[in-house]
Amino acid sequence: MTAILKVEGLKKQFGKVQALRDVTFNVKPGEIVGFIGPNGAGKSTTIRILLGIIKRDGGRAEIFGKDPWKDSFEIHKRISYVPGDVSLWGSLTGGEIIDLFMKLHGSGDKEKRDYLIERFELDPRKNAKGYSKGNRQKVGLIAALSVDSDLYIFDEPTSGLDPLMEQVFQEEVEKIKDANKSMLLSSHILSEVERLADKVVIIRQGEIVETGTLDELRHLTRSTVILETKDDVSKMANINGVHDFVQKDNQGIFFADHEYLNDILVKATKLGTKKLEITPPTLEDLFMRHYEG
Amino acid sequence: MKEKFAHWDMLFVQYLKRDWKKIAIWVLGLGLFSAGLVPAFVEIGKGDGTIAMYETLQNPAMISIVGPTPVETASEYTIGAMYAHEMLLFCGLFAMTISILHVIGHTRKEEDLGLTELIRSFQVGRQANSLAVMVETVFINILLAMLISGVMINYRIDGITVGGSVLFGTSIAMAGIVGAGIALVMAQIMPISSSAIGSSLGIMGFLYIIRGVTDISNVKLSMINPLGWFYLTYPFVENRWLPVILASLFSIIMIIIAFALEEGRDMGAGYIPQREGRANAKKSLLSVYGLFIHLNKGVIISWLITFFVLGIAYGAIYGDMQGFLESNELMKRMFAYAGFSIEESFSSTVMVVMAGLVTILPIVIVNKLFSEEKNLYLSQIYGTKVRRRQLYWTSVSLAIITSIIGVFLAAGSLGGTAISVMENSPMNIMDFLLIGFNLLPTILFFTGLAALILGWWPSLGKIVYVYLGYSFFLSYFEGILDLPEWLIKTTPQSWLPKIPMEDFNALIFIIITAISIGLMIFGYIGYKRRDMIERA
Ligand SMILES: Nc1ncnc2c1ncn2[C@@H]1O[C@H](COP(=O)(O)OP(=O)(O)O)[C@@H](O)[C@H]1O
Ligand SMILES: [Mg+2]
Repeated sequence: MTAILKVEGLKKQFGKVQALRDVTFNVKPGEIVGFIGPNGAGKSTTIRILLGIIKRDGGRAEIFGKDPWKDSFEIHKRISYVPGDVSLWGSLTGGEIIDLFMKLHGSGDKEKRDYLIERFELDPRKNAKGYSKGNRQKVGLIAALSVDSDLYIFDEPTSGLDPLMEQVFQEEVEKIKDANKSMLLSSHILSEVERLADKVVIIRQGEIVETGTLDELRHLTRSTVILETKDDVSKMANINGVHDFVQKDNQGIFFADHEYLNDILVKATKLGTKKLEITPPTLEDLFMRHYEG
Repeated sequence: MKEKFAHWDMLFVQYLKRDWKKIAIWVLGLGLFSAGLVPAFVEIGKGDGTIAMYETLQNPAMISIVGPTPVETASEYTIGAMYAHEMLLFCGLFAMTISILHVIGHTRKEEDLGLTELIRSFQVGRQANSLAVMVETVFINILLAMLISGVMINYRIDGITVGGSVLFGTSIAMAGIVGAGIALVMAQIMPISSSAIGSSLGIMGFLYIIRGVTDISNVKLSMINPLGWFYLTYPFVENRWLPVILASLFSIIMIIIAFALEEGRDMGAGYIPQREGRANAKKSLLSVYGLFIHLNKGVIISWLITFFVLGIAYGAIYGDMQGFLESNELMKRMFAYAGFSIEESFSSTVMVVMAGLVTILPIVIVNKLFSEEKNLYLSQIYGTKVRRRQLYWTSVSLAIITSIIGVFLAAGSLGGTAISVMENSPMNIMDFLLIGFNLLPTILFFTGLAALILGWWPSLGKIVYVYLGYSFFLSYFEGILDLPEWLIKTTPQSWLPKIPMEDFNALIFIIITAISIGLMIFGYIGYKRRDMIERA
């Protein structure tokens, strides 16, 4: 399948700051792509180039086979965008702003809008002046989700949302996924996109450092395991796939290679498992590995 | 009873400590402004200046703006009478505004922010805060009165009597205290602090307009207006203290009402429930044009009103133009041209002044697009079907349209008023409109410059104001200062003929308009090409 969004060797400089050095990735139809990187990595810059808000200095970018700088109007007909940072006019209510965005977008669904306002528990009659960061984010999301698009581009959509609302957001994204639409979802927290993303693109200092499905990336690194057993837990230390074992009372903490996870669990069961916690790698872990490798 | 106000004195001292910088600026700034312009008035009053001013201000249009004077013949119009007549109402409104903002800022606003809750948790009485803020505001206004009176007494000028000076200062302070009383009541009634401020200032504006009407029709009626209790004290003429007493009583009653209201309400809630906004947008908002009109509405309306009022104020001078200009050498040099009637030459200069002011509006509108861009208001809109072309040309065309309306209002109200106050006018309304619209290309030129900068060097948007200020200054003082021709030619205003002394020149009109449109188009090319700047 040909990608509907394609960037290759993207570069962007702001004065002396080289914000993007070499950004390459693609989004295929029906794919949800997590775009992960710490603050200042270049996520928003990349996304702004994709929307034609700023112009690339080098490399190629394409959405639906069109150039985002030259043909932004054609592209915008088929995408929904929620920026990472939004200011909302204090003289308008959230409801008015949602209507405005939908209208300017051109293909909004009123019923969907009302449904989403309810789901996100937004008070549309309140002046946007009084909105928290999370509520501002909701306004953008509701407007964008009410619109039927082929590609959704969300820049850190869940920052500021409380966990309950993040849950609602994830459920709405699932629906988009089920409808076979595509999405580019940026975040500086890996676990935020874990559940949703088919593929993860990791950017650091303007360069893509990893691309692949989460599984592919995960096997590159190790999960953290906390294990408590009836018998002596120190017996775990010497089996294959266990690294950096430390023991506190009857509790052992170590890193586990995913290839050996089964062996490790079998052994743990033999020792009489009382407590088991496996934490998947964080973004930081991935970077650590990248440094080492 | 005592319990409710427990520890108010402690809070009061605390507030003086906290606010002392603000108090110093408030008292010195407003005090020196209120008392410090006396030398300028002495200058204006030289020769027959007071007489001319008296005649000018007898005009109903002027009375509705600055208020009446009890003086019945021009010869009794002393410097003091003139000063109080022109300054008292405005200084009083100033004092009122600051007091309103202060009282609500320290009562309702802090409540909304949750600070009051914190204070109350320290064994402080329920109403101690309101009392402390009120006492503080009264105290500040007393300081203000003392400073104003002291400065004025020290001039030792004929007509600026000691009694008058004390009353003048006291009247301004009373204005502040009346404002504080109104504000404290509104702080109890309204659902949030911003609506308390809005309604207090709204009441003040409403009373101001009412008194403009009653001053002309029947001054006695102005005495039932709370504003009348400070600007109708007539310092230096009749020195009436009765209004001051009325103002004091009114303030005390307001404070009592406010305390009673505060007693009966919950913290953080007013008597009027918070007005619900709209859940859905009106159709008129749902386009780039609708949005931009909404965003600029406040600026547009307030400037258009300013142009209109200014036109009336200048127009009123035509009633006794001869006297006004003859009395003052400076004015004459500024406004008179040899070989033309004084009204005609005055019209020409005054229109340049007004066109300069009208120019501010389109610049504000064009620059607004960049401030929206920079402050991240448009980010999500960039991802919609809205094109840059729409954003740019909507702003620019809104700027052009409001310029045209601005010129029309300024020239029209100037002409209309002038014609109505002159016995036999040498000019008709079309003459005035022609003088005004002749200058439209200069306004378009500045708009074009602003648009050019928006397109290519958006962060330099303020530069257009600097250039406008410079041109304004040069063309205003052209007659007084002996400036070389080339320097004067650096101002767009000088490129157009001075109507009615010179004839309208269609060619120049078209050329400058075309250049301006060219600047706008060139600006658009830049706007289309550049990065949007989204850094707050
Ligand atoms: N308009 C701009 N001017 C100058 N520097 C910028 C601008 N926008 C972004 N940058 C810089 O580019 C880098 C990448 O920023 P950004 O794309 O916002 O990162 P992210 O969205 O991943 O947090 C940062 O160093 C940032 O300071
Ligand atoms: Mg970002």
